[in-house]
Amino acid sequence: MYSLYRWWDRYRLQLLLALISLVVALALRQTEGAGLLELYRLLSLPFQSGQQQEQLITARTWELEQRIAELEIQNQKLQALLDQPAVTQGRGIVAPVIGRSADHWWQQLTLGRGSQAGLQPGLTVVAPGGLVGRITNTSPHTSRVLLLTDPTSRIGVTVSRNRRMGILRGQIGNRAVIEFYEKDPDVRPGDIVVTSSLSSLFPPGLLIGRIESVDLTKTSTPQAIVKLSAPVGDVEWVTVHLDDKTAEPMVSLSP
Amino acid sequence: MIRPLSQWSPLVLNVLNWIVTVGSVILCSLALPVRLPGMELAGISPNWLLIWVVAWSIKRTVLQSALAGVVLGFIQDGMTSPQPTHALGLALVGVLTARLQKQRYIEEDFISVALVVFGMAVVAETVVALQFSLIKDVDGRPLPLADIWMYHQQAALSSAILSSLWAPVVYYPLNRWWERFNWLE
Repeated sequence: MYSLYRWWDRYRLQLLLALISLVVALALRQTEGAGLLELYRLLSLPFQSGQQQEQLITARTWELEQRIAELEIQNQKLQALLDQPAVTQGRGIVAPVIGRSADHWWQQLTLGRGSQAGLQPGLTVVAPGGLVGRITNTSPHTSRVLLLTDPTSRIGVTVSRNRRMGILRGQIGNRAVIEFYEKDPDVRPGDIVVTSSLSSLFPPGLLIGRIESVDLTKTSTPQAIVKLSAPVGDVEWVTVHLDDKTAEPMVSLSP
Repeated sequence: MIRPLSQWSPLVLNVLNWIVTVGSVILCSLALPVRLPGMELAGISPNWLLIWVVAWSIKRTVLQSALAGVVLGFIQDGMTSPQPTHALGLALVGVLTARLQKQRYIEEDFISVALVVFGMAVVAETVVALQFSLIKDVDGRPLPLADIWMYHQQAALSSAILSSLWAPVVYYPLNRWWERFNWLE
């Protein structure tokens, strides 16, 4: 009994501290590092590019929005004539990229805006050039984006030239590959790839990239390597689409 | 005028020790998402938490080291994704480093610490790659093994080189402080 008491007397502080650190670490894990990310944003605030750039971008965005709106109306009229499903368009929020993934197996971005700005998991993230990924979790002032090039990401895509469907999956090591359903997908390098209207995670018709090379020798399914049109590696600003969160997959589709 | 450390009360010293320890962990975690020029090799940055675990484990018991590995692994999980967990790899790193009994075999200097970090980075990457080989993606299909292990080579090498080069930045001040603190105690 006495030795037990002495043991307790000697180690109780260490035990307590060990327990505390375990609990804190578990809490951090459960909250997906929200506290740390908030602190990170606060500290990196002075290094983020200033308000002026945002104003410039907003002005430029506004100009482009007006042009798009004009083209959209034309496009929708033409599509109505052709009886095609319309491409959805919505409001967007511009957010700065403040960090990259915290280890090198995941392809993630940290944005400097979070739930306070109306961002929530599932929203689509677009950079100048095309689709980048989708938000997986948010804290009040930061949010985390899973990139298209992440190995766990999968998206239904369409080759815009001949409407052939495939699944785009990220590959470990910052590439993306399309697997086609058909044996002979009739694609060639240079074809443009957009999100498919069958995709349940992304709105249809968003630009993804261009096919770089095709590999028909794969036994099960033909594959094609895609060069993403958005510079995923060094984007500094992205736009988050607010309205088109996890649209229901459309069933009818003209081949 | 600040009094020399040796005149401070033991309680204050202990609190200061914990502030330094916890503060350094927070700094290392915050350094993870940063990509500065010169800190990056093929898109891969140094594994700061791994360096911290090695610095901590070199002069501590196996249990203390394993615990530190688990705690820091959970933190990294929080900052990326809880599956596969980083706690396993970092705990193993802690145990191995503590078992090395460095003082007995190798002379203690920057070079040998950098060497230990180099080896441990490879160990940690291998544990993650092993876990990736076992998990399934959203559709229940396993991830392509060839890709994982090809990337593992590149990731392990880049991470090992960078982490061992940057290791003294974390190890030197921390080790200095812990040595001084022990001496004062």
